[in-house]
Amino acid sequence: MASSFLDRQNTVAPPGFDRFLVPPAALAVHLSIGQAYAFSTFNLPLTRLIGHSHSAPADWDLKQVGWIFSIAIVFLGSSAAVFGRWVETAGPRKSMFTAALCFSGGFIVSAFGVHLHQLWLLYLGYGVLGGCGLGIGYISPVSTLIKWFPDRPGMATGMAIMGFGGGALIAAPLSVMLMAHFKTALSNGVLETLVTMGVIYFMFMMIGVTAVRVPAADWKPAGWSAPAHPKQLVTTAQVAVDMAWRTPQFWLLWVVLCMNVTAGIGVLGQASPMIQEIFSGRVTPAAAAGFVGLLSLFNMGGRIIWASTSDYIGRRNTYMVFFLLGILLYSTVPTLGHLGSIPLFVAAFCVILSMYGGGFATIPAYLRDIFGTYQVGAIHGRLLTAWSVAGVLGPVLVNYIRQYQIDNGVPKAQAYSVTMYIMCGLLLIGFLCNFAMRAVDEKYHYRGSVQS
Amino acid sequence: MKVRLVLLWVVVGIPLLWGVMKTLENALKLFQ
Repeated sequence: MASSFLDRQNTVAPPGFDRFLVPPAALAVHLSIGQAYAFSTFNLPLTRLIGHSHSAPADWDLKQVGWIFSIAIVFLGSSAAVFGRWVETAGPRKSMFTAALCFSGGFIVSAFGVHLHQLWLLYLGYGVLGGCGLGIGYISPVSTLIKWFPDRPGMATGMAIMGFGGGALIAAPLSVMLMAHFKTALSNGVLETLVTMGVIYFMFMMIGVTAVRVPAADWKPAGWSAPAHPKQLVTTAQVAVDMAWRTPQFWLLWVVLCMNVTAGIGVLGQASPMIQEIFSGRVTPAAAAGFVGLLSLFNMGGRIIWASTSDYIGRRNTYMVFFLLGILLYSTVPTLGHLGSIPLFVAAFCVILSMYGGGFATIPAYLRDIFGTYQVGAIHGRLLTAWSVAGVLGPVLVNYIRQYQIDNGVPKAQAYSVTMYIMCGLLLIGFLCNFAMRAVDEKYHYRGSVQS
Repeated sequence: MKVRLVLLWVVVGIPLLWGVMKTLENALKLFQ
């Protein structure tokens, strides 16, 4: 009974179904799993489980706790790559349900870990199980949305992936509120918060599970027909996932995504100390937290705005803007720091972070343009390994180069300048790969029948 | 169908708006 409800054939939309019901279903999943970006709100409380108001000697330290998020991101990328093809065949409802079980289950296992004070249970729970929920949940609605919106694929996937950025905006204040609510003299409320969030996110993701539908095989939007002469770099052919990753186009896009994410993710992780050090004495910790919030908003807004724009100006041109504007902004940031202009500095990073989010949101439609719709979700899953690499590369570049500079006598306010120029170099590599993008050779095209 | 559409958007829109408002409240501290 339960399995038949989840099966792909039982999710085919009846005639007259409104396709705008599908984006909120996808949003329900992405708003939930976007919590991952706000996991750092648990870091400090997790180091005070025994000491409560301070860290006791038997408490975990920040370095140990920091691995929970890193493991989750690694498993996000690897599970999206490994389970991508299964997501395509199982359909969005079954894969969203699996994602809900894994993601919520990760919270519950982690709560056990807190109860027993066993860190490995948090690595296994939120890191491995939750990470698999993140990866499967991230790609599960993508190909469905692309099929529902062949006329506006950028806007459709942008709406869903905007949810991943928005999830942190909800989760950060929610987890702080819940921990304050459950706090007692004997507990800092982490255990109860993890259980509550596990239940809330499961229920919220189930809204998406019940609402999602796939279009019938012969469905197309009313009054729309596929253009007789598609735009440049928009294919009418199909490429299977096992063939796609053998094409140079896949690896060019992999580098494009990796460079774009590396440039943004390092800044996002270090935004608070960075603005306080560059404008020493002028930016308080509270104001720096406001800066981080502002970046999160632009990260979210950039996803829908840039992805929708790409429907009009084309995917390759959108990335050209990301890379050229990114190089321009990163190269001027050290000057803005020397000039002491906080508004211009903040504005530059807001635009940079909007392009970071835009890069994530535009890539599914770019994949669809290059490889067709056949197994675009699975191809997207494999491409997300670039995110895992960037997740390590970005923070390492920012943190280690900063430390190296400081160790060599460079003042803290200027310790980020070299990093900014290195980011320009990475963006230049991304620009060249994007510039080299061409249509996939016919020898890679799929010749079999394509299931809707 | 229309009622369901509005309801679904409201269900996902309210938490998102709440999150955006909370973040904006925090972001305003930067300009104070």
